[in-house]
Amino acid sequence: MKNIHLSLYLMLGLLILTQKNTQAQSLRISYYGETITHYGLKTAYEYPIFSKIKERNQSRKMLLIAPSAALYRHPHNHFGIIIAPELIYRRIGKRSTLFEAGIAPAYFRYFLEGSTYQVTANGELERVRYAGGNAFLPTVFVGVGRDLSVRHSLPFTWYTRLNISQQRPYNTSALTRFSLEIGAIFPFKKQ
Amino acid sequence: MKTIHKLFTSLAIILILVSCKDQDVEPTEEKTLFLRHKGADMPVWVHGNAQSNKIVLYLHGGPGDCAMCYRYYFKELENDMMVAYWDQRVAGASSGKVDSGTLRYNQFSEDAFYVVKLLKQQYPNAQIYLLAHSFGVELAWQFLTTNNNQQMISGLMAVNGIFSYYRWLYHVREWALREAKKQNNAEAERELLANPVTPENTATVNWELIYRWMHKLGGNPVSLYDDKKYLANYAFASPNTALAQFTHSKAYSYYGEVESRLFEKGALLKNIRIPVRLFWGIKDGIVPVEVGRETQQLLTNTSVSTVEFSQSWHEPFITETREFNNAVRSFVK
Repeated sequence: MKNIHLSLYLMLGLLILTQKNTQAQSLRISYYGETITHYGLKTAYEYPIFSKIKERNQSRKMLLIAPSAALYRHPHNHFGIIIAPELIYRRIGKRSTLFEAGIAPAYFRYFLEGSTYQVTANGELERVRYAGGNAFLPTVFVGVGRDLSVRHSLPFTWYTRLNISQQRPYNTSALTRFSLEIGAIFPFKKQ
Repeated sequence: MKTIHKLFTSLAIILILVSCKDQDVEPTEEKTLFLRHKGADMPVWVHGNAQSNKIVLYLHGGPGDCAMCYRYYFKELENDMMVAYWDQRVAGASSGKVDSGTLRYNQFSEDAFYVVKLLKQQYPNAQIYLLAHSFGVELAWQFLTTNNNQQMISGLMAVNGIFSYYRWLYHVREWALREAKKQNNAEAERELLANPVTPENTATVNWELIYRWMHKLGGNPVSLYDDKKYLANYAFASPNTALAQFTHSKAYSYYGEVESRLFEKGALLKNIRIPVRLFWGIKDGIVPVEVGRETQQLLTNTSVSTVEFSQSWHEPFITETREFNNAVRSFVK
């Protein structure tokens, strides 16, 4: 529970921080899912806290923070909402290739997809609306992509990212989850 | 006037359609229920022919296995009846925050009681049958020999499962010894002979050694992972949480080391009054057919029938699916 609060406070802090100016900030929108049948959407607001251009090969290195939110559906099981403050290291090479890696101490809220009945103290079954649970979902990720503004003058970057998360608590311990993102990053202003 | 007429006609059509929906039973049921109890959110997926008014509640094995992952094999039963696939606590797609201290026979039996109660509440006219496999059979005996629970059930189909830890391990060792002799495996024979199973030593005997030899000697060569269609169905079409399956077993160490070793229901089977059908893959080394034959002898106060599957090991519904499903149909009819 402490971890869940921590991730929410971090998220709130990032949201306040990213309000200051929109210079070099970007919006990320992607497909998010465990598989093609557990589908969802994710969006994030990226804010660079450090950026450096290497003169030798014109590659860009950045450290970004990004409040993000993902929604997905695991049919006949649950709907998930993941809210995460992400810390991302990103490198865009001379040939516009993107590589990134990062961490996200995420908050996970899920709603069971089905009618839920709880056993009451006197042994009766009582319907519970919007039943589900809360969990801490620390995540690490790596991604690759291509900045299409470098060679094709298109104002976005496509990317794909693999997330490895651990849901805590899950039953008696924890559950490792894999998920995939495929999407685009749109800068607010030309960098 | 024309407008009012149109309005009334539309209203009448809507009312007719709505009233038809209320009175007619949906021919095909597809419902997801969850039972929340003592920290666990346990899914119960109900699929099949709602007009049959018969529900087969599948009690999966393990402990820690899954129910819906076997729908691939039971699906054709859904033409004739409803099948309720229940994932037990800390199994399949069950979730929540569960104390491992609840992973006891009593708790599983209590959960089963509320699952049956939930099904009876949702389908008040339906008869409920249990289809129990392996650990599910232990759970079924625990449930049926507790209070008046068997009054809620119309019949039990028990598939390759045990009634007594001692009698189980005794027969596994006998099976392995027979195979060791047949296969001229002197090492297996020597180690098995050095580890006899008696009523006195069931809590301490090296069961893992006996179990390992049973597997090495071909006790159950069937692997679900060999069936690519099944795997694709599991990964993409089942509601299971794919990796969860591999996290459950850690929680069952107390069950393996203590709880299961005390399991003994032999003396209580005479209290069973509901019809029982025993399904057995006769090549099985995990729960040899001799356990089934002893079970039949102990069920002295009810009608018992047995269906043996000559080409099957521990999961006859995988290896002889059609024959298995036909045997379920004939019992439930």
